[in-house]
Amino acid sequence: MTSFAHLALACKKFSPRFLKVAGFAVAICALAAAQSLPQVHLDASGLAPRPIEELTGTTIARHYALAWRELAGALESGRAEGLNEEFVGLAKDRLVRRIGEQKQVGVHVRIVDHGHQLKAVFYSADGSAMQLLDQAQLEIQIFDGNKLIDSQNAPQQYMVLMTPGADRWYVRDLEEVSAKTF
Amino acid sequence: MQRIRYCNFAWGKCLAGLALLGILSGWAGAAELRVPATLEAGQSFSIPAEGTGQATFYLLGPDHVVKRRVTLGSDLAIQSSDVRAAGRYRAILCSSSCSSAVFQVEAAKPAHLSFFLHPSRVPVSTPQSIDATAFVFDQYFNLVLTPAVVDFRVTPASGAGFLRQSSTRRGVAWMRLDSTPHEGRVQVSAVAANTEEARVIQQVAAEACGLRMRALPSGNVVTLETDPVRDCSGNALPDGTVVSFTKVDREGKSTVDTPIKKGVARVQFSLHGPAQMGVACGVVLGNEVALNGKL
Repeated sequence: MTSFAHLALACKKFSPRFLKVAGFAVAICALAAAQSLPQVHLDASGLAPRPIEELTGTTIARHYALAWRELAGALESGRAEGLNEEFVGLAKDRLVRRIGEQKQVGVHVRIVDHGHQLKAVFYSADGSAMQLLDQAQLEIQIFDGNKLIDSQNAPQQYMVLMTPGADRWYVRDLEEVSAKTF
Repeated sequence: MQRIRYCNFAWGKCLAGLALLGILSGWAGAAELRVPATLEAGQSFSIPAEGTGQATFYLLGPDHVVKRRVTLGSDLAIQSSDVRAAGRYRAILCSSSCSSAVFQVEAAKPAHLSFFLHPSRVPVSTPQSIDATAFVFDQYFNLVLTPAVVDFRVTPASGAGFLRQSSTRRGVAWMRLDSTPHEGRVQVSAVAANTEEARVIQQVAAEACGLRMRALPSGNVVTLETDPVRDCSGNALPDGTVVSFTKVDREGKSTVDTPIKKGVARVQFSLHGPAQMGVACGVVLGNEVALNGKL
């Protein structure tokens, strides 16, 4: 009780303007944290049949990170609009369908992304497709409404197919696979 | 007989109590889910749900989410349409608490090919000049990650074709092929299981070979004309291919680039005294002609 009294007293000392600014700063930090990209490390050593250009590697890592941020946001919010920026084809169709069905039954998924070790395993000679394997560290929590019904925290493996667009690389296929695929 | 001694004070009450305990544990506890570790896409199956009472069953897959009320003690039927997408699925059963299990759905047999052929035009008789890449998918468009054999068949418009075989690795087969000696349309097909995808490329003549020209002087003008321009396999270089003629005389050096028309390239130069003339096409040099007032 004494500490509460001290806290109340301390808060009174701050002007409303200070509290407003502090609140804004906290909101900015929260927004930045929400928009921060997951870490993606790309290993393209021994890539065949075409070697990767440095700029291509940077672009792929960045857009893969963006894709996971959009994916996590969509799975939690039930809004699939953001997926258009980073996903195309089969990957987009499947995710849009899943998010629609999740929303319909009142389920949502929260992903805490601890990063991705991405290994490029195939880059077509004409540069039109790249296949990658992702070793992801994810905490996944599944909710029905507000009730946590399942959680998992283990390394997960994904097979990824990315294709270039006008100004970025898109995720065309994203499939969780067993560890033996690696 | 130890356990009978605990109960022998009131058999009826003891048994009823045990039964109630069993019912409660089935009702209150999370029923264990037993799922197959892996199964093929589109394959229906059932999950035995032990216990009694009602529960909520969830199935979360790559493109599909199921939620339904179920009665424990009976099997939970999973339809083939619930497991069409390859990937990891999570089955969750909740009564008073939840239990979950994970299973992997793997692609079914190859049924579709996504086939890329590059480039669309290629010079004849060039080794390793055609890149063929095939992605193998099942009927639900899951990438087939288990190795599959893909045949690349090359069928030229004239001459003998050939076949190269490759095995997929993580769903992808690729190969570099040689172009055949004759120009024209070449069909390249990728074949896996019962599915075939064909693409067409155009083979064009390679660099000029044995480039020759002749000079036809007329007064103080000379017309230079090549023989029909062909590559080393005898294919005519396409019209529009640029041929460069050079003349060096008293006035200096003149160069004219002119396209091949109807198989030959032709140009006229005015002459100022003795002249030396040459011809080239791409990286190939042809013969030289010297004019000293006479041929």
